[in-house]
Parts: sequence; C-alpha cells; structure tokens
Amino acid sequence: MNTKDNNEEVKENKNDITCSHCGHVNPPGTQLCQSCGKMINENYDKKKIKDLMRYDGSAVRSKVKSKSIFDKIWNFFTSIKVGVGIIAIIAIAAAIGTILPQEYFIPIGADPLEHYTEQYGTFGMLYYKLGFTQLYSSWWFVLLNGLLALSIIAASVDRGVPLYKSLKNQRAKKHDSFFRRQRLNNNYDNVSKAPEIVKSFENKKYKLTQDGNHYLLEKGRLSRWGPYINHTGLIILLIGSMLRFFPGVYVDEIIYAQEGETVSVPTTNGKYYVKNESFTIDTYDEESGTVFDESLQNNMEMTISNFQTDITFYENQTADVVGSSPELEEVDKYSIRVNHPYVFEDYQLYQSSYDNSQMKSMTFRLEDSEGNTLGDNFTVELDDPEDSYQITEDVSIDMRAYAPDFLEIDDNGTLITATPVPTNPAFVFEVDDGEKQELSLLQIMNSTDITQDNEYNIRFVEAEDHMASVLTLKKDLAMPYMAAGFIIFLIGLFIGSYINHRRIWINAEGDTMNIAAHTNKNYYGMKKEMNTILESYEFEAMKDKEEEESNSKG
Amino acid sequence: MKKSTRKVVRTGTIITIAALLGLTLYLNLRDGSQTVNVGDEAVDFKLETLDGDEIQLSQLTDEKGVILNFWGTWCKPCREEMPDMNQVYNEGHEDYEIIAVNVSENPQQISQFISGLSEDLDYPIALDPNRSVTKAYNIGPLPTTIAINKDGEVVKKQEYQLTKEDIHAFIESSVE
Repeated sequence: MNTKDNNEEVKENKNDITCSHCGHVNPPGTQLCQSCGKMINENYDKKKIKDLMRYDGSAVRSKVKSKSIFDKIWNFFTSIKVGVGIIAIIAIAAAIGTILPQEYFIPIGADPLEHYTEQYGTFGMLYYKLGFTQLYSSWWFVLLNGLLALSIIAASVDRGVPLYKSLKNQRAKKHDSFFRRQRLNNNYDNVSKAPEIVKSFENKKYKLTQDGNHYLLEKGRLSRWGPYINHTGLIILLIGSMLRFFPGVYVDEIIYAQEGETVSVPTTNGKYYVKNESFTIDTYDEESGTVFDESLQNNMEMTISNFQTDITFYENQTADVVGSSPELEEVDKYSIRVNHPYVFEDYQLYQSSYDNSQMKSMTFRLEDSEGNTLGDNFTVELDDPEDSYQITEDVSIDMRAYAPDFLEIDDNGTLITATPVPTNPAFVFEVDDGEKQELSLLQIMNSTDITQDNEYNIRFVEAEDHMASVLTLKKDLAMPYMAAGFIIFLIGLFIGSYINHRRIWINAEGDTMNIAAHTNKNYYGMKKEMNTILESYEFEAMKDKEEEESNSKG
Repeated sequence: MKKSTRKVVRTGTIITIAALLGLTLYLNLRDGSQTVNVGDEAVDFKLETLDGDEIQLSQLTDEKGVILNFWGTWCKPCREEMPDMNQVYNEGHEDYEIIAVNVSENPQQISQFISGLSEDLDYPIALDPNRSVTKAYNIGPLPTTIAINKDGEVVKKQEYQLTKEDIHAFIESSVE
C-alpha cells in the first residue's frame, strides 16, 4: 500500500553512505564510519590523522549541500574562517576605539562633533562620524556582535550535534584499519592478558564498553564539551551586552548639585530627589609623623584623602504632572564617599568629582569721596540677587541692572547677557543717600561712573565660588548576565584545556591483541599512563606514529 | 538531527538573532532623538508664572489652543520676537493662549529683561526653575515655539525666531 513511503524510510537520503565493512548507514559527508570506524573516503586526506578524529569522523553538516536562503546564511556563518574574521574585525575596531578618548570623557556639555574636530582635525571628525567615539553603541559594532552570536551558534550546532551523536553511539568493535590509523597503537601475540589489562585501565578511572573480546576504555569525555560550554558563556555575555540597550536596564547619568541644592534624580520620573547638604575635601596631614610625610611634602599640591558629599535623600509624595513643585519626604541621610555609594532600589549613587568654577557671590563696600568706608559690606548672591541693599540708615544701594555674563549695554541702557551662567557679572548700582541718586556700572576689575561727578565709590571686596558635587548615578541590571557569562566562559575554557579526552580500543579477538589509543590533547601524558600499565604486564610500550615519522625524517 | 528539526533550528536561530538585533538597533538609535515632534501628544505640566499664578497645560487646552514659547534673557532672537508676539496677542486671544516658558532664570533677571523691551508683555511668563518642562519637551536651541491644539496634540514646531506671519500661522494651527 505505501511502498513508496517504506522505500524512503529505508533509503532516507540517496547521498547516505553505507559502510562497506559493517553495513551501517552514515549521513553524507561522513569521513569515518560511525559504527566501526573504517575510513569511508580513502582519499580524504591520509596525512591528517588528527583532523579526521576532531569530530570523530562524522559529517560537519555545513559541508553538505545547501538549499534555502536560510541554509545558505547558516552555512556561511558555520565557517570558522568567517567566525575568526568577525572576531578580528571586532578586535581591530575595539583597538581603534582606544586611539581617541570616548565621548563620555570629553567635557560635559561640549558638542562632540566640534570637540573632536577642534582637538584632532579631520581624523577626529571622521572618527566621530564613523561612530568610534561611542564604539559600543555604534550601530555597526552592535551588528558585528549580532553576527558573532550567529556565527558562534551556527558553528557550535553544526559541529556539536554530530559530535554528540558519534560520542553517544560509540561501539567497542572497530575495523582493523582504524587501529592502524591511530597515532598510538601496537599489537601483541599474547591475548590472554587482555581482561587483566582492561581491569588495570578501569582502575585508572576509564569507563569500559565491552563487546565480546572488543573493549573500549574512555575517560574525560567532558573535555570535548569545553568549547561548547565556552561558547554558551559568550552567548550569555552577548545577551547581557544587548540588554543594556533596553529601556530601564542600564543607567549612567551625572548629577550636578551645588551645596544646599535639591535636585531630582534622573530616570526616576521625579520620584526621588537628592539634596547636597555639604561637600568636603579632606587632605592628608603632612606632619602626621608617618613614613608618608616626606612624599606628601614633595607633592606640590595637597594630597586628598577623602571626597565626601553628605546627602539627604527624598521621595516625592505627589505623583503629579511635570513642573509642579514636589512634596518631599525624607527617606535617608548618607555620606557618599569614593567607593561608598548610596544605594537605593537598583541604583547606586557614586562620588565622581566636584566643581568650584562657578561664582556664587560678590561682596562690595561703599566709599565716600574721602575714601572712608560707609556702613557694612554688602554681598550680591549671583544666582538670585536682592533688589536693594541697606548700607547705613540714610544710604541704600539699588540694583538697577545685572548681567551674569556681561556682553554689552543695550540702546535703552539695560545690560545684555551672553549666557545665563555667572561667569562675567556686571551690575548697574544706584546709590541713594536720600538727597540724590548716583549710577555706576561695575564689572570685574572695572568700575565706570554713569552719572557725572559721583561722590560715592563702590569697591569690590571679595568673591565666593559655589562648591558643587558631581555624582554619578548608575544602574546595571545586565551585570549578573555579564558575570554569569564570563564565569561560564572561564569554566568552558578550563574544561577544554585541562581535561583530556582519552580513549583506548583493545581487540583481543583471534591470535593477536590490537591496542590503539586516541586523545584530544597531551599524547605524552597518555603514552606514559598506558606504558606504565603495559610494562607491569611486561608488554612492549605503545608505538607513536608521529615520533616515528619525525625520527625517520631526522 | 531530523531534517525538519534542522530546518526549525536554522530558521529559528537566524530569525531570532535578526529580530533581537533589529530591536537593539531600534532602541539604540531611538535613544538620541527623543525630541517632541509634530503629531506627538503634548506633555502636561504645571508651572508658576511670574505673577505668582499657577497654570496647567491640560486645563488651558480644554478650551483653547496653546502656544508654548521657550526663551531666555540671553537669547537675542527671543528679545526680538517677543514684542511682535505681544502685538499679535493684543489683537485678541479669545481662542488661544500664549505661554512664554522661561528656562531656569531668576525673577529679577526676567523682570529686568522685560522692562528693557519696547513694550510690556501681556501674556503669561511661566517659570521653569529646574528645567523640568524644558527637559520633558527636549528643547534644544532657544527660542523654540510649539503649537498645541485642543486635543493636546503638538501641531507645529519651530526652532528659530518667529516673524509676525509665523506667529499668525502658529495661532491658526493651534485653534484649528
């Protein structure tokens, strides 16, 4: 009835290879019969003994025919050459990425294109335009990582699956030619000792598979899975680096807070606020009597022992719209020091740096025509100045105009500012002593009378700078993936490098005993282990093909 | 591996990686351009004005179209366009409102700036002391002007000085 189906079942694929020796049906591309180990394609490459055994002679699927577009893509990425090529490009790109500083190292607020062009010329401009300044998030670097992931998975599946199958289905009985082909082999006239020898190997932790007088001894098979464990770790690592691009997974923000200032914590949607209560810098005592005194004194600058920001942490009780004043409830107080971040939810708040470059206030005094100082000094807070300052009972000073970053005087007499930041403040003060008013313009290092024959002079006394703490807000939910991936990567590397997969085949059928052995690394160690046992039965040592070859060459 | 399983593994792996890669690149590239554009829903906000009143965008858009004008005292085009805007505003503003959002300056500076203009401003000046609204709208250069219609949708946006014709065009699109 369904002869056709039956036919197909028997002959699954017309390219399948039937072993001439044992009749086992092998998939196309097979080099060594999966059952008895006879070489299928005699011309494959007689010199490459090791290569043939790498995947136990089974077919690497990518080397078979391809059909659909997916097969073609897949086969392209299974190639080791392609994989190594991708890794090489990633490595070269990462190396180029270290030539100029990355974008997060350039001054805060600077336009990156301008900065790189100004600092490094055309090379800097190209460097920026090609995305090297933010290498890890440039689109082509992300794409390369994706292709690497595909390459790792495709190559591993195509090699790992056949390897798993052939290692799982191992038989003790092997063709004579298989014995001759192994690097370590020998034959002996005495077959009676075979069971005892096998027993000795079992004592060396070899696992035995027996088929009549055919023996297979094996240990350290885990070694073969090292590269695949290693690759799994890499894939987890790549997943971790991908997760960082997902919203809410990775945060790295700067918080700038002057002393006494309360600012909202970015990326928390106004839920949290942090107040900089005070910022302190401690320096080492140069006279402390310790061995470090001399080097501290040699250092021209003060050596800093501690940066510290004392903060109050608040939670906003009103989940209200943007811009409305928050209703803050104190959650915590903490002293943030280097390496001692404040931790909340999944965030850490680190001490990063400080800034005292911004002017906070300027203090002046008032002189009369004879040079006598009148009343108290007055201080102008540059961020939010008063309109009027009382000097004595009779004399007051009104601020008529103020420009934080003085540019020019407008036609109508007002001061024009270039930026809102107080870097070059200028004021128009009006001195009022109840009888007359005098106007004067004050700038840094300069004072100009506006009204004629001024009796009073306003003199600069001192300026004070803001002390601002710069904190970095960090959150990285991808870190556990990165760590796990890296640990698995190392475990895989260890397993692949330090465990040896050793197999010994013994054929005690008939008059001669054939012994052959294979390991994926450290033939020297294996030879030594075997010879110790063979010698204890007064058997000749194993022959090493490679040693013989190099001897005959020499 | 059976042929069908092989096909599923191959196709599945390639499609999964392509999809994740696409998503990652989308999230990555979207990051840099989170500006408010025409067609977006306007972010609601509540700010205090220079006169001490409180204004909320959503309450205004219930009845009127709203024009948001982000500005600073140091910005020259702002100084030039504001008197024009005031003249248009005084021709009648029954169906729209102008809110000039000042970017984080103190009232002293703002008052001084206004007194230096050729005319007093009759439309409300909103104060955004910690730039929360400026950030929410991702404002780049100043001035930036945004028209919002009664549905709370951004209908027009301009990142340079407005002429009188521009101001009329903004009013028209906000009341449509």
